[in-house]
Amino acid sequence: MIEHKETLVAPWQEWARRSIKGRRLLEAGTYALTEGAIAAGCRVFAGYPITPATDIAEYMSKRLPQVGGYYMQCEDELAGMHACAGASLGGLKAMTATSGPGYTLMHDAYGWSITNEIPLVVVDAMRVGPISGITGAPGQGEFYIARYASHGGNFETIVLSPSSVQEAFWLTIDAFNLAERFRTPVTILTDQVISDMWEDLFIPDDYDGLDFVIPRKHNLMMPFYPVGSADLDVPPNVIGHGTGVCVSAYTHTEEGYDIEEMEAQWAQTFRLVNKIRHHRAELTRYETLGLDDADVIAVAYGANARTVKTGVLQARRRGVRAGFVRLITLWPFLDELFERDARYVVCELNYDGQLVREVMRAAPDKRKVHFMGKSAELHTVAEVVAGLDGVARSGKIPELPYIWTEVR
Amino acid sequence: MNKLAKKYLRPSQIPTKACHGCGIGMIENWLLQAIDELGLKQEDVIFGTGIGCVGRQTFATWGGDNFGATHGRALAIATGLKLAQPDKKYLIVVGDGDAASIGTSHLIHAARRNLGVTVICEDNMGYESTGGQFSPTTPAGYVTNSSPYGMVEPPFDPCDVVKAAGATFVAETTATQWHQTVKIVKKALANDGFSFIHVRFPCNENFGAYALGTRDTLKNLEWIYEHTQGRKTDGSESDFVWETGIKHDASNSRPEFSRIMRDMNARVQADLAQKAAKKAAT
Ligand SMILES: Cc1ncc(C[n+]2csc(CCOP(=O)(O)OP(=O)(O)O)c2C)c(N)n1
Ligand code: SF4
Ligand SMILES: [Mg+2]
Repeated sequence: MIEHKETLVAPWQEWARRSIKGRRLLEAGTYALTEGAIAAGCRVFAGYPITPATDIAEYMSKRLPQVGGYYMQCEDELAGMHACAGASLGGLKAMTATSGPGYTLMHDAYGWSITNEIPLVVVDAMRVGPISGITGAPGQGEFYIARYASHGGNFETIVLSPSSVQEAFWLTIDAFNLAERFRTPVTILTDQVISDMWEDLFIPDDYDGLDFVIPRKHNLMMPFYPVGSADLDVPPNVIGHGTGVCVSAYTHTEEGYDIEEMEAQWAQTFRLVNKIRHHRAELTRYETLGLDDADVIAVAYGANARTVKTGVLQARRRGVRAGFVRLITLWPFLDELFERDARYVVCELNYDGQLVREVMRAAPDKRKVHFMGKSAELHTVAEVVAGLDGVARSGKIPELPYIWTEVR
Repeated sequence: MNKLAKKYLRPSQIPTKACHGCGIGMIENWLLQAIDELGLKQEDVIFGTGIGCVGRQTFATWGGDNFGATHGRALAIATGLKLAQPDKKYLIVVGDGDAASIGTSHLIHAARRNLGVTVICEDNMGYESTGGQFSPTTPAGYVTNSSPYGMVEPPFDPCDVVKAAGATFVAETTATQWHQTVKIVKKALANDGFSFIHVRFPCNENFGAYALGTRDTLKNLEWIYEHTQGRKTDGSESDFVWETGIKHDASNSRPEFSRIMRDMNARVQADLAQKAAKKAAT
């Protein structure tokens, strides 16, 4: 086997090294997402049950009243995310969880939360589609939808994806922290495998003592919307403290007043886009392996990254100079991970090709970016090895059943 | 500026861009009168609106905290907000499109939960900010920009809907009933639960122009008056009549939504504490 270097860049690297008193459990991804939220101070969950996110709702209905929080089962996902936005505006951290069919129903509330800079966390446990598809099978079809989680343009989004039950726990805390710091909704884009899977999980005994959790603060002063500024860590606005804040669907002034002027649109967009673009370093989370010497680099995220990583290690054992990129931050897209002039093999759980298009854009030569699309089941290790081997030898992915390689 | 506007509204946000003679400002003034007579202050009331003329022409006029939802979602937002801010009064000012069409599911479920808010559904019998299309409250036969041959769909009465869903206070008034509306709004705000007030008012620019054939404010108000009374000014019967007044008053008869949630939390936490104490003892 060729020697290789592994790197994980994520804030929980450091959190996990601390001597936190806690316990080890065998638990599901949905449990970890729930406990991560509670640990992060989430006190409202509002949503509508859907496989494979239903267990989050059920866990929340039990856990939230125990910690003084509120579980709301809404009439639909439109109501769910709007209620979360309302709760967050009232000063409580909030989360909702769904799958593709519900996620698309949230886009109205998502846009409202983006515009009004409302911190929230949204879990989308992806299943294969389109529409209802196969409810109990994993998919990765919402990569772009999560980026463009509402209409109208003029915003950036933050999207993170975990690939283990333990990571789902830490990443949920991280997502809440980012939501607070950036004053925006954050999507945890996970999938059916990670949600339903049971795995080893460490959780702290005392959530109150976690000093890396960013508490909710309140903005009690003008400007309520620092339009024209990219400043980070502006405290979120709060309704009910008599500040006179105005929150709306319209293009707004610093006060939150409805304004129909091009300059105001410019200033609002500057804020919504650049508070994220100017602070990309704060948002960078990924794992890599063997990038120093790789000729061919496999790219994946979520559950799928697990078999892909094993495939990369096996390919290296066979002498292929293979590397691995696992994206944790999906958006903003980490272009910098694709600077190496190598061949890329993008493994994702859809046939239409989504992540691969971003890699093509970011890589030095898009002709050297290959697609291995699969649907409803993770890539097998053998498929990954065959793909990497084929690309390393002949610049082509061999024909494999149920694998699509065409991106048009 | 009148005294009430000075006391409660934002000078920079009034007058609004509503058309000349529009009833929206007048009804808002009545709301202020009710608030004032109840002795409420700016910081006691959260003002939520929908989208449409009613929403946009009232949003941010209120001197306290405001939110302007996306079309139809004001009650969905209010449901979450109420959990976080249970002690505030909520005035949710929405159009017939917001309440009786795109947001009806939220209306029904807010009523079912007995969410502690007062909804003022200002009904101009159509989608006026989009230029005057019919809505589920447009009276049968009337011509709008999307019912050029007359409104053929049967309308429904939002008061019936919320009453059936469990609202604890339901009333209907029209833009010709100043004192009655003020009295009713006061009662609605005194209900710690879901209150719904349906107020018909004339839109001169669209409903007036297309359904009634005039943009004249007084003529349009007269049409509202006739259908409030059931009688035309010439003494003959009008083609239909709205039944106004309090339609259902079960104020404070069952617990408010956020109260139910807080009570459950108290019960769960007491149970937990008891279990912990037992465990410690054994
Ligand atoms: C999701 C969505 N659909 C459609 C619209 C366009 N739209 C804006 S206001 C409105 C109708 C408003 O009717 P109503 O609530 O009765 O308010 P009015 O303007 O009559 O006061 C419509 C259809 C929108 N803003 N959002
Ligand atoms: S269009 Fe009608 S409802 Fe809208 S502001 Fe003008 S008169 Fe009022
Ligand atoms: Mg209307």
